[in-house]
Amino acid sequence: MKKTLILILCLLVVPWCLFAGGKAVEKATLTVIGPWAGPEMEQFMPVLNAFEEKENVTVKYRIYRAEDLSSVLPAQFEASQSPGDVIAMWYWWVMENHGHAVDLSDIWEPEKDAFTAPQKEAGGKTVMVPFVMVVKPGFWYRQSFFDKHGLKAPNTWDEFTDLLRKIGDIDGIKAPIATGNGVGWPISDITEHFLIAIGGPELHKNLVSKSIRWTDPEVRQIFENNIVPLLSAGAFSDPIEWTQAVELWWGGEYGIYFMGNWITGMVKDPNDLGVFSLPGAKAVVGGADYFFIPKYSENVDLAKKLLAFMISKEGLSIRAEQGGKLVVRNDVSASRYPEADRNLAEVVSKMEETTIPDMDDTIGGDWQRLFWDQLKLLWVEPDSLDDVLRKLQAGL
Amino acid sequence: MEKRLRQWGIAFSFVLPAVAIMAVFIVYPAVKTLLQSFYDGEGNWVGLRNFITVLSHYDTIDLSRFPSKGPPWGSLVNNTIWILIHLPVTVLLGIIFAVMLNNIKGGSFIKGVIFLGMVIPMIIGGVIIRFIFDENSGIVPLLMRTLGIEGLDHTWTAYPKTALISLILGSILLWTGFSLTMHAAGLSTIPKTIYEAADIDGAGHLRKFFYITIPMLKPVTSVVIAMTLLYEIKIFDIVYAATLGGPGGSSMVLSLQMYFYAFRKLDFNTASAVATILTIFTLFVSIWLVRNTLKGEER
Repeated sequence: MKKTLILILCLLVVPWCLFAGGKAVEKATLTVIGPWAGPEMEQFMPVLNAFEEKENVTVKYRIYRAEDLSSVLPAQFEASQSPGDVIAMWYWWVMENHGHAVDLSDIWEPEKDAFTAPQKEAGGKTVMVPFVMVVKPGFWYRQSFFDKHGLKAPNTWDEFTDLLRKIGDIDGIKAPIATGNGVGWPISDITEHFLIAIGGPELHKNLVSKSIRWTDPEVRQIFENNIVPLLSAGAFSDPIEWTQAVELWWGGEYGIYFMGNWITGMVKDPNDLGVFSLPGAKAVVGGADYFFIPKYSENVDLAKKLLAFMISKEGLSIRAEQGGKLVVRNDVSASRYPEADRNLAEVVSKMEETTIPDMDDTIGGDWQRLFWDQLKLLWVEPDSLDDVLRKLQAGL
Repeated sequence: MEKRLRQWGIAFSFVLPAVAIMAVFIVYPAVKTLLQSFYDGEGNWVGLRNFITVLSHYDTIDLSRFPSKGPPWGSLVNNTIWILIHLPVTVLLGIIFAVMLNNIKGGSFIKGVIFLGMVIPMIIGGVIIRFIFDENSGIVPLLMRTLGIEGLDHTWTAYPKTALISLILGSILLWTGFSLTMHAAGLSTIPKTIYEAADIDGAGHLRKFFYITIPMLKPVTSVVIAMTLLYEIKIFDIVYAATLGGPGGSSMVLSLQMYFYAFRKLDFNTASAVATILTIFTLFVSIWLVRNTLKGEER
């Protein structure tokens, strides 16, 4: 009996000693959740690493796409749990679920004038703060490819169609334009660019605010006169998984590729990149990646400290140096960017109205998925235009 | 009496944990889902309105396009097509492979290879399907290109006419292992003496197959049919990973539609209505299976 008691005591005391001893030296740990993997993740990690060194904490990074988070978070929040302390997510989703988010006014207010993108407010509090900016400036090309075949970036619509014809005539080219695919956002980005370039930024804004219908003749004409003829003529490739499309386009199977500025971090030689917007584009779609802190974080104060660092001049200067994204502070010097990103900043700065928010992110909800899905259909069946527009309107 | 009560108490204590877990994780959510399907987002009783909304929406049935125009035809039609093609093919292939690979050298290895499809998580299966039918990296478009079949040498999952069929074919590849394994196990239970008696009577291979093998495998086939039907009715992961129900809803299925209602529209009441419809379908299959099993036991 005595032996058994001693054994039980040992079993209880030894792990306690070990646990207590371990805890004394254990660093605080934060978990950051973001959608970036591969090169995009590598560009983000230095910011977290800098915070780790500065504050002597451990910051873990976990990859979750917003699509996946949208099914994970409701159940977690319902149980007052959170998979992460600082989370990047669709802002419309967080604004609809703002009751689960921490108020970030105290880290936003002191420096708000330094930001080029607004915070997101809901329920009378700041629920999300911007981190980096993505812009979808237009069609990317390899300068070496254009030089080799005597091609030039177009300045008019006719020059654009002429360019596509010339690219299509080059041996080994499968289609002039590579179409990225995935859940569907690359195609919606292309479509939004056409809407802005041909219909103007106002038309885009009216579609977002739902003050013009998708079936309106003004909208339909852009599809009928500009997008559908290119699709029917085979100017666009079939939708290809977008990271695979980068490889194929870079390898010379396609001439140009519509993508956001993060592409500069995905190619072998960013200095070989060139980009042009559709002739007439007075703005480009752009938007910020936003972070929030769930109120179920076990260390809200430290999480706030991390987020404050991430959006500080120091944190965003580190991020700017990595390239692939534009930062949301106006006090970060352009010289911090790698060359390709500096060139992009120039293209964007020439626009009358620089960036306007991404349509599907702004409207959000199931319409976002519908938009992506219907455009995927249009891309392979241009004849279904009226059906697509009708469903897009009905889904709003 | 006291002894009897004690025995009941002991028995109850063994069953209690399982009952409690089932009550919390299965019964409660199921009842809650059922109730939720009769209410709107504000908690008002709406009767069958959510069901009518679901069943009259073109996401579920688009009869204006069926069958003369191509897809999308709606998730219910897609689920039906899935069952009509996938069920007979997987069951038949399972029986045929089980018989062909029975008692032959290397048969177990080939069965193991076919069964691999079942070992792979279905979400990975969906990714594999996407690549199998991809224009740039897939074997199927390559084969079609080699055979000179135009119109099928593109990415199957990107076109509405081929998206659903590519998922069904991929699913056959993944699910046939289940049917094969079950039937192979069933074959081993058929007494050899029956075949020997048939040999003496001069029965050929086909007669033995149709008059001995098929009838003797009937209980196993019933289970395979029921399990396959349940799998087909609630098919989700393959579609989610390969096409997300697109393009244009051409490969949408009921369970994915439910997911989108719940987690994209944040409309849990309509999603509950879809879940209830799915449950009703699965109940039919389950009742049929249970009745079949009980009949078998009576015999």
